[in-house]
Amino acid sequence: MNGGDDTRNLGAAHRNGNNHHHSAKRPKISLPISESEIREEFSHHEEGVARINNGSFGSCPASVQSAQKNWQLRFLRQPDDFYHNTLSEGVLHSRTIIKGLINADDVEEISLVDNATTAAAIVLQQVGRGFAESRFNPGDSVVMLHCAFQAVKKSIQAYVTRAGGSVVEVELPFPVTSKEEVIDAFRLGLRRGKQDGKTYRLAIIDHITSMPSVVLPVKDLVSICREEGVERVFVDAAHAIGSVKIDVKEIGAEFYVSNLHKWFFCPPSVAFLYCKKFELSKDMRHPVAFQEHGNDLPVGNAWTGTRDYSSQLVVHSAMEFVERFEGGLEGIMARNQRDVVEMGKMLADSWGTNLGSPPEMCASMVMVGLPSRLLITSGDDALRLRSYLRVNYGVEVPIHYQAQSQREEGDGPRDKDGGRITGYARISHQVYNVADDYYKFRDAINELLKKEFTCRMIFTE
Amino acid sequence: MASPDGKHRRSGTNGEAKPPDSKKLKLSALITDEEIQSEFSHHNASVARINNGSFGSCPQSVISAQQRWQLRFLRQPDSFYVNDLKPGVLESREAIRSIINADDVSEVSIVDNATTAAAIVLQQMAWAFAEGRFEKGDVAVMLHYAYGAVKKSMEAYVTRAGGRVVEVQLPFPVKSNEEIITEFKLALERGKLKGQRIRLAVIDHVTSMPSVVIPVKELVKICREEGVDQVFVDAAHGIGCVDVDMKEIGADFYASNLHKWFFCPPSAAFLYCRKSAKFSDLHHPVVSHEYGNGLAIESTWIGTRDYSSQLVVPSVVEFVNRFRGGIEGIKKRNHEVVVWMGKMLAESWGTSLGCPPDMCSSMIMVGLPSCLGIMSERDTLKLRTHLRDCFRVEVPIYYRAPKEGEIDPVTGYARISHQVYNKPEDYERFRDAIKKLVGDNFTCASLSA
Repeated sequence: MNGGDDTRNLGAAHRNGNNHHHSAKRPKISLPISESEIREEFSHHEEGVARINNGSFGSCPASVQSAQKNWQLRFLRQPDDFYHNTLSEGVLHSRTIIKGLINADDVEEISLVDNATTAAAIVLQQVGRGFAESRFNPGDSVVMLHCAFQAVKKSIQAYVTRAGGSVVEVELPFPVTSKEEVIDAFRLGLRRGKQDGKTYRLAIIDHITSMPSVVLPVKDLVSICREEGVERVFVDAAHAIGSVKIDVKEIGAEFYVSNLHKWFFCPPSVAFLYCKKFELSKDMRHPVAFQEHGNDLPVGNAWTGTRDYSSQLVVHSAMEFVERFEGGLEGIMARNQRDVVEMGKMLADSWGTNLGSPPEMCASMVMVGLPSRLLITSGDDALRLRSYLRVNYGVEVPIHYQAQSQREEGDGPRDKDGGRITGYARISHQVYNVADDYYKFRDAINELLKKEFTCRMIFTE
Repeated sequence: MASPDGKHRRSGTNGEAKPPDSKKLKLSALITDEEIQSEFSHHNASVARINNGSFGSCPQSVISAQQRWQLRFLRQPDSFYVNDLKPGVLESREAIRSIINADDVSEVSIVDNATTAAAIVLQQMAWAFAEGRFEKGDVAVMLHYAYGAVKKSMEAYVTRAGGRVVEVQLPFPVKSNEEIITEFKLALERGKLKGQRIRLAVIDHVTSMPSVVIPVKELVKICREEGVDQVFVDAAHGIGCVDVDMKEIGADFYASNLHKWFFCPPSAAFLYCRKSAKFSDLHHPVVSHEYGNGLAIESTWIGTRDYSSQLVVPSVVEFVNRFRGGIEGIKKRNHEVVVWMGKMLAESWGTSLGCPPDMCSSMIMVGLPSCLGIMSERDTLKLRTHLRDCFRVEVPIYYRAPKEGEIDPVTGYARISHQVYNKPEDYERFRDAIKKLVGDNFTCASLSA
């Protein structure tokens, strides 16, 4: 595989085509954002780094940063005036935009919080109170996925286990070849976890899992939860907005959270927490009690003490940025998916490995198997390999160690050398990525293989 | 951080926590008046901004330092997370530890603001009730003038968990520390009436509205004598406003905002937790990867956030050291000038101050002429807005309900602040605005709802 197409920008042919824009706001004669404009918007990204990890910390274009600075300056200029006359309105505007994007019924159902981790604390604190106030019985459980985000697992420990609740973990298959595999495993896990006289008080399901990353059939999983008697469902969709289309009514969960700074171009950090209307009366509180509006979560979240709320106020600027692209947000999502899958296949072909899930179960990230000869035998190996790639090759990509599951009957996927694939790279694609980024990664791994490098050789300091 | 083979260094940092081009200070050159005005030139120049107490202020050089940190994250966030964040926060915590005379940096956590710190301290109370370490009806004591958000936290984490909250009634206007000490002792007695234990006392170092400096050292001593388990000093107006010597004060927990009087951008605060404090299993309410590693470490990562306001503390130290006497000098001069301005206003209006000068810090309560007809809290908000909109004066106003039998009571007090950017003209404008209102026979009743 040669790098003859190194300067090719993915999807170039599509970008300067006719403007098929849906937004009524944009004047029809303006062109979509050009490639050089995109480069400029992200010119603050470190040069020389193949930044194929948008999934971890997201990205923010210069024009949105600029809008943010304006808000920050307005506050600093006259903070009392800002607080009394500007803040609430600005936050309401942001919430209204989100309500439209996710098909919620009422803006009251949308709260802005710092990030998905905070939302998890809010929901789990409520569960914890259920146990403390004996509305829940000791041993009632919370269901989570085996691959739930580590911070969420810890939150469950802090608020549920500590309060006397029990935890049921459901393992999903990985690598996975169809959504039916996921659905079957989930149903089985829920049934197995049931205990006589114990109620499932909450299920926490990812919309897009973090590591390993797969888009789950969340609507189906919520239905299964209802069938199996789960009282409430919390969808942790940290990656969702800007990656996949979201329809909260269709999904049907009581709680749904997604970060806006990951795939929706907002600066760190801001997320929305959707709470279905009837939940609002049931005592949802931000863990930091606040002064202005009692227990009313949506408005109260705009005031958790003096803070810099500027990241919450630039949602419309992020929306404006998105609308400069052909097809708006949907166009961006479609192209990210197309390009990340294409690059994933390119890598898998080059290395003789596999993809962790089929294209229809990927959004803007895909798991690519790493060659067995690298000898990734633990989570530590994966971390060290990641650092090694960052420091020595200028490639930023998270690596997942996939231990062999006890569930598997066979012995897992093998690469072209016949060795077992135990490591997967999670590659992301966002609008600033170019094919070069992935070629650089491809070549780095191929060079490591040539040097007969293994993870054993990385010395920790 | 060295790479294994020393080649191909890709990291955008050189391992140092400080932003690359922070200025080195010249020990001899003190900041001039022009430089001060320049540092705060982003303030709306047409406003007499005599309310530093509410939202604080941040000089341009610290804003610039903050922006450098923000850019560093945006440039390569993974590398920032791995290489820069923790050392940067540690440096900030160490700077604070030194200023507040804490023994060990592990006693210093940085959180968003004093409201968050209060939630952290009170949350452990809720657990203690739930887990049976406290008995139903055990008591927490707080001041009647405690900040609204802290009261809500008490409700959420104490009352709701089965505890009883006792409020210390404080007189205002107040004439001496003894008045406060007497009321505090009475409240402790009320707390122990039913034979229950007083698990926590929450004491403001400087109350918000009305603003008075509380004799915390004495009150902490009384708490120890009376067997109160833990003392939490809520010093939202702490560092940069009053003396913050942890060993002197002797509390178990002490929280202070850094963005109010210590020139940090919004928002950052420190929570000090004495190593030997009883029952100190504190956790940050937002649980993330560092859960269980101690509050200070838990607070360094609460999910993806903009941590830049926590990282600029060393830049703030550089800024304050450009002033004669550093932060101590700033504090002293703020106090002197605000007292002087307060007296000037009281004299001009024929009113009085809400407390003696030695019970105020860089804020002081000045009585407003009673003919203005301030009859409720609503009136104070309306008057405040009127002053902002029509006279471009920004100052919070406190409603003090008259006691029975009082003749011609003063029911409104303005809380004026003084920070390094203020000028006498700011207070003169306020003086003249009120005089005009009085001259025009203005009353709050004439303002629309």
